[in-house]
Amino acid sequence: MRTHFAEVLARESACLAGVTDGAKLAGWRRRVVEEIMTPLSPYASALRQTGDIPERADFLDRWRELIAETVDRLLQSGATGDTHSFSGQTRRADVDAQKTAVLILAALHGGSTLSQITEDPWPLNAALDLALAPFAAAEDNSPARTGTSSPIGSMNP
Amino acid sequence: MTTADSHNGRRLTARGAKTRARIVAAATDLMYIKGVGATTLDDVLAASGVSKSQLYHHFDGKDALVRAVIDHVGERVIERERAALGHVSTIRGLRRWRDALVQNNALRHGAYGCALGSLASEVSDHDALARQALSRLFTEWQELLAGVLRRLQDGGALPPEASIDQLATGLMAALQGGYMLAQTAHDVTPMATAIDMALAHIESLSKG
Repeated sequence: MRTHFAEVLARESACLAGVTDGAKLAGWRRRVVEEIMTPLSPYASALRQTGDIPERADFLDRWRELIAETVDRLLQSGATGDTHSFSGQTRRADVDAQKTAVLILAALHGGSTLSQITEDPWPLNAALDLALAPFAAAEDNSPARTGTSSPIGSMNP
Repeated sequence: MTTADSHNGRRLTARGAKTRARIVAAATDLMYIKGVGATTLDDVLAASGVSKSQLYHHFDGKDALVRAVIDHVGERVIERERAALGHVSTIRGLRRWRDALVQNNALRHGAYGCALGSLASEVSDHDALARQALSRLFTEWQELLAGVLRRLQDGGALPPEASIDQLATGLMAALQGGYMLAQTAHDVTPMATAIDMALAHIESLSKG
């Protein structure tokens, strides 16, 4: 396997394993955006649509799996950890970890292309905002935010 | 719209224009199928049947030819997207747009991706002019998507606080990333999934 593919997978495997809540997910996202926006970084090279297809297919499959495991873990912990917001639970139960991982990977891939041609991280961030939206909703339902003006908070007694 | 012949400042004769168009058409097909990097000027000569001196009469070199291909592909894609999106004002209409793109890509098992996106992922950093041209074309395409989302918002299907530009860019990234995943996997499924997930999010905002 090409070195930039192996390098990205090694780092993603280590970093994603530590993502256990919304704040850590936000930290992962900030780091990945920074890596992708660094010219010639392993991330920037790995997301180029060039080189050997079977190798890239294997790389993308494994990255998607790592993301799916993380999404699944976040959904599980969110659904068991927060007993206050019933509607938050159903919302999360609707989220399919595998499909969400496909969207996140597509957002990284397509967003990085748009950001490279504009030389601006804005498109990549817009892409990730959309792909990670279920977790923004999960954060809004956290105990720290209930009781604020969110519709779910106001439903609590 | 094309600028590639401005380097010699001459107007093309009808025959010259025909030769140039033949070169650009051959280069467009080759770059779409083989990729920009793997396409040589010799390949273009062989595929178009023009002579080396004819090719250099129209293009300084490969960069100039790549820019002409970007103009050509961009014009085609924007025309197609304007026809597909220009009057869409419902989520259903947006799904029909999605169906057409996925269906067309499925015919080739997703093998070649988006003509414009493939160019963007290959030529971006070594040629600033090509990058800027691509950036303008993607802005134009995203503007068509933003137009649809704005009409949804005006019709009450999206809340007033939804950020239209951000959603349009996010949707475009999901589409382009989906094309790339499909191309690598030789399977259109990840493209369909990525767009569906993005559209589901946009639709969920209306129920917020």
